[in-house]
Amino acid sequence: MPLIKRDAVTAPAAGDRPDGVASHIAALSGSDAQARWSAARALRGRADATPALAAALRIEQEPHVREAIMTAIMRVGDEASVAVLLPYIRSQDAGERAAAIEALQALPEAILPFLPELFSDSDSDVRVLATELARNVPAADATRVLYALLEQEQHANVCAAAIDVLAEVGTRDAIPVLKACAERFAGTPFVPFAVSIAIARIPDN
Amino acid sequence: MARLEARGPPTVQVTQEEVRRLCEFLYRRTGMSFADNKRYYVDRRLAERIVVTKSESFQSYFAILRSDVGHEIEHLVNAFTVNETYFYREEHQLRCMTSNLLDNVIRAKKPGESIRIWSIPCSTGEEPYSIAIWLMENWRQVDNYNIEIVGSDIDTRALKAAASGVYGDRALARLSGDVIARYFQKVENNSYRIDPGLRDSIQFTRVNLIDASEMALYHNFDIVFCRNVLIYFDDSSRRIAAENLYDCLHPGGYICLGHSETMSRISPLFLVCRFSDAIVYQRPEAGRDRE
Repeated sequence: MPLIKRDAVTAPAAGDRPDGVASHIAALSGSDAQARWSAARALRGRADATPALAAALRIEQEPHVREAIMTAIMRVGDEASVAVLLPYIRSQDAGERAAAIEALQALPEAILPFLPELFSDSDSDVRVLATELARNVPAADATRVLYALLEQEQHANVCAAAIDVLAEVGTRDAIPVLKACAERFAGTPFVPFAVSIAIARIPDN
Repeated sequence: MARLEARGPPTVQVTQEEVRRLCEFLYRRTGMSFADNKRYYVDRRLAERIVVTKSESFQSYFAILRSDVGHEIEHLVNAFTVNETYFYREEHQLRCMTSNLLDNVIRAKKPGESIRIWSIPCSTGEEPYSIAIWLMENWRQVDNYNIEIVGSDIDTRALKAAASGVYGDRALARLSGDVIARYFQKVENNSYRIDPGLRDSIQFTRVNLIDASEMALYHNFDIVFCRNVLIYFDDSSRRIAAENLYDCLHPGGYICLGHSETMSRISPLFLVCRFSDAIVYQRPEAGRDRE
């Protein structure tokens, strides 16, 4: 039989062995991409490494290492880590924007304090993306911040994005602002249509 | 408004929009899509979950689901997927392995070298044994290489069952009579024991896919079958699992996911490879990152 059985488990390579935070941080700026990848993975969730990870993310060129750095920062999960990741939702690289949004969506509690400012951003694309960040926020909080956005938002695409999120996570408290939004954009048929869908899907209590 | 009825339980009123809301959640979460013509299928499973969770309404159930109380997302996904595992499940991926993947894998190997294949999670063993049988039945080069197959799971009870290698006839339903005769022995009513030589050639280990320290002990796999597990993870855990799997693969190695999963939704670490039998994902070769 050509099948053989060996120990499935092997000791980690020397470079993978647990080591001090300082050496991992030093490795983040080394020339070996595999070492940078391993260092980022080893620093996952280390709040004390956030500044070093943030610095590495600014200069890292290898996509898979960037991904590991983003995950490492995401796993810290505090407001400082959100502050590091937020600028990347403005990236010209669609993949990087998506990675940042995905990482930030995993931090619903930490992202919440940042949403009002994001919803006031002068760039409508940022406001659209920010609505996605509200999707995993608790329903009452998501409704509150999206309500505030819809009250003053003038861009139909941003409103549509917010309405789409409310259709999934909104509470009945959103109904008045949704109706007002539909009236305000009566000349843009997809907005009243989206509002009608959202109101139909938002539960009664 | 529809009245949902599960077996025996009280009925629950659910609107079509609420069903769509659930379907959108399921789609966003897992990629599984159910059109309006699947309403009955969706209703039945939704009704069962509402009853099991003792929810008084769709709204209260959806709140439980969104908060993942009691791992409700996993339970719901289970309700919508075929959980029964069996030999030669998703046979097209096995065909892809012998038609395409292994040809690429052996380009960098000499005859006599090892090819490492990992089934994670392997549940009660049907998948790793299927891989072994498929290779011996369908790959001409099988005698030219040392093939290591490892099955891993977090569930030690499942691993114990895998190591015993006894299966009911339903699990063997997709195997031909000839294959059953070659690799199994009937032991009692509708039960079959896998060939002891085959059983002893596969190593079973316990491992948690999202535990980096456990996963760090596994290296240099050429092909990983990781089917129907990532859909149960939240975004954060999926990223961790994807990075762990990346490290376990040899550069250029392949990962096969379940039919309702796509790695591109999970992580940009891998290249998408479209073959005639299956779409699989590849860790880029050394020095060649995503394009």
